[in-house]
Amino acid sequence: MAELLQYTITGIAVGMVYALIALGFALIWKSSSVANLALGQLVLISSWFTYGMLVQAKLPYWIGFPLTILFAIFLGWMIERFTLRPLIAQPILALITVTLGVGYFLEGVVTFIWPMSVAALPRLFPQEPVHIGPAVVSQEYIWAAGISLLLFGILSLFFKYHKMGIAMRATADDQMAVQACAIPVTSVFSMSWIFACVVAAIGGVLVSSIGGITFGLVETGLKSFSVVILGGLDSFIGCMVAGPIIGLCENLGGGYLTPLIGPGIKDIIPFIIIIIVMIVKPYGLFGETRIERI
Amino acid sequence: MDLPCGTRNYDYARDMAVLRTKTHWALFIGLLVIVFAAPLYLGNYWLGVCNLIGITIITITGLNILTGYCGQLSIGHAGFMAVGAYTTAILTNKLGFPFLAGLICSGFSAGLIGLIFGLPSVRVKGFYLAITTIAAQFIIIWVINHWSLTGGFVGISVPPASIGGFVFKTEASQFYLIMVITAICILFAKNLARSRVGRAFIAVRDNDLAAEVMGINLLYYKLLAFFIGCFLAGIAGALLAHWTGFLNAENFTLTDSILYIGMVIIGGLGTTIGPILGAALIRLLQQGIMYISPVLESAFPAIPAGFTSGIAPMVFGLVIILFLILEPRGLARRWTLFRAAYRLWPFSY
Repeated sequence: MAELLQYTITGIAVGMVYALIALGFALIWKSSSVANLALGQLVLISSWFTYGMLVQAKLPYWIGFPLTILFAIFLGWMIERFTLRPLIAQPILALITVTLGVGYFLEGVVTFIWPMSVAALPRLFPQEPVHIGPAVVSQEYIWAAGISLLLFGILSLFFKYHKMGIAMRATADDQMAVQACAIPVTSVFSMSWIFACVVAAIGGVLVSSIGGITFGLVETGLKSFSVVILGGLDSFIGCMVAGPIIGLCENLGGGYLTPLIGPGIKDIIPFIIIIIVMIVKPYGLFGETRIERI
Repeated sequence: MDLPCGTRNYDYARDMAVLRTKTHWALFIGLLVIVFAAPLYLGNYWLGVCNLIGITIITITGLNILTGYCGQLSIGHAGFMAVGAYTTAILTNKLGFPFLAGLICSGFSAGLIGLIFGLPSVRVKGFYLAITTIAAQFIIIWVINHWSLTGGFVGISVPPASIGGFVFKTEASQFYLIMVITAICILFAKNLARSRVGRAFIAVRDNDLAAEVMGINLLYYKLLAFFIGCFLAGIAGALLAHWTGFLNAENFTLTDSILYIGMVIIGGLGTTIGPILGAALIRLLQQGIMYISPVLESAFPAIPAGFTSGIAPMVFGLVIILFLILEPRGLARRWTLFRAAYRLWPFSY
């Protein structure tokens, strides 16, 4: 019983972080229909950057974290401006593969600057485990889930009330109409990339403060694709619902199936979910079914 | 098709011929001689590079049929290669199959696995399919690492290829084996693209809905594309297995899959010459980086330690991005332009 509760709470908490990273994906997809496959590498490079700021440059938290956010903003702007902007209105194949190229490049940058490949961020959250009923849960998970939820709240308020947020939603709806209303579509695109990078950076810091920085972070980014797929590509609510589901499946499955099947099943569960969702309900729980015309 | 002045087609067979003029024939035979005489002037190391290029060309040809002709993106081709490689490893090592039987079986097993992961392609496309094939990559590698039959993390050894008592032990003999199979695969791809199947693939790529309305069975042709693409990947995987003699899941990572996609794009999607150019360019670039990075490192001690391992992904990522932006039709288009310029020279109008 204690085990079950523990897996459940950890699963939901980890799932919240996945959902946060997935949100960054949904943002870009909604506004510009670009599938960002470099998500994992964005998570990776911003975690390493945080490591560089906090551990290697020995900056205090209140300088290091804003610098990470600034770096993410810069990164998002650069990627949009120099790789996606020249490819506007290109076939979807080009748009997908260019993000693959970006991811590959970023991976190279990471190995170039931080060749050690494994590192630990300093502990950001208090260490004492929390007792919830019979379960013992590390406090970090609760913090991570809380921060993700908070960010999700802020972002949804932004999209609801802020002028830029409304412009971004409008762009997602109809690019031509938005252009006719004198909303600069290109700056909406770069805004969405900036948001996605910032969100991925925060998610990355949360994940790597718990599990350390490894190349597994790329896989974390890929796992959040299963969140997007399950939730539906263009739905923010979908992300927030599907995130905890994926986290739960991963942790419960990892906890109970590992003795039966073997180690490592935990890492593969999100990918199995992807295949199942693809065959059963390809547009996800909340996604919009596309009806095509010739 | 642009032909030199005075070349006319008197019958259908001549119209469809790949080699049209005497110059074509002369160049083709010259190329064959240069390629097949390679063991005479290349050392073992460069023969090895050529073998790797040949194997890569087979994979890329398969991926080109799937992605370039049929428009179905696959980011799991290294995984499908792994299926083929491990099939032949298990069949020849543990069950004592002959090499050729193992080769064919690995093609079929990779094709079947490709069919399973290609099933979603009937309902979804674009990004959804990309994600499915990434998932395929991870699931395949996980199974390989955790199944006792495949040797797990330790790996599995593979006997060298042999046909009818002749064992392909030396690098040169393997070179001939790989080049012959590569040539067969290229010829197959070239002819497939000109047949009804190839035209159906192109129709599906350009607009699958319109293709369906015109009477093309989407289910059949999309799955056929997956089968053929993965079949060739399986053949390439099997050749890789027999060539290296030892298999490990490290040979088939997601990074390799991405690199394969990059090669198809750099070479030129939907062309026969593209995979050859793309595979050769990237593999030679790899050799160049491997050669030049220690030199640079010793010349400039100030370079950080990660230079050697980090420079390759950076260069490849950059090459993929630049090709997509500047020359989305790849090297194949440059080749066509060069041929046209050569034919018209010196009167380019």
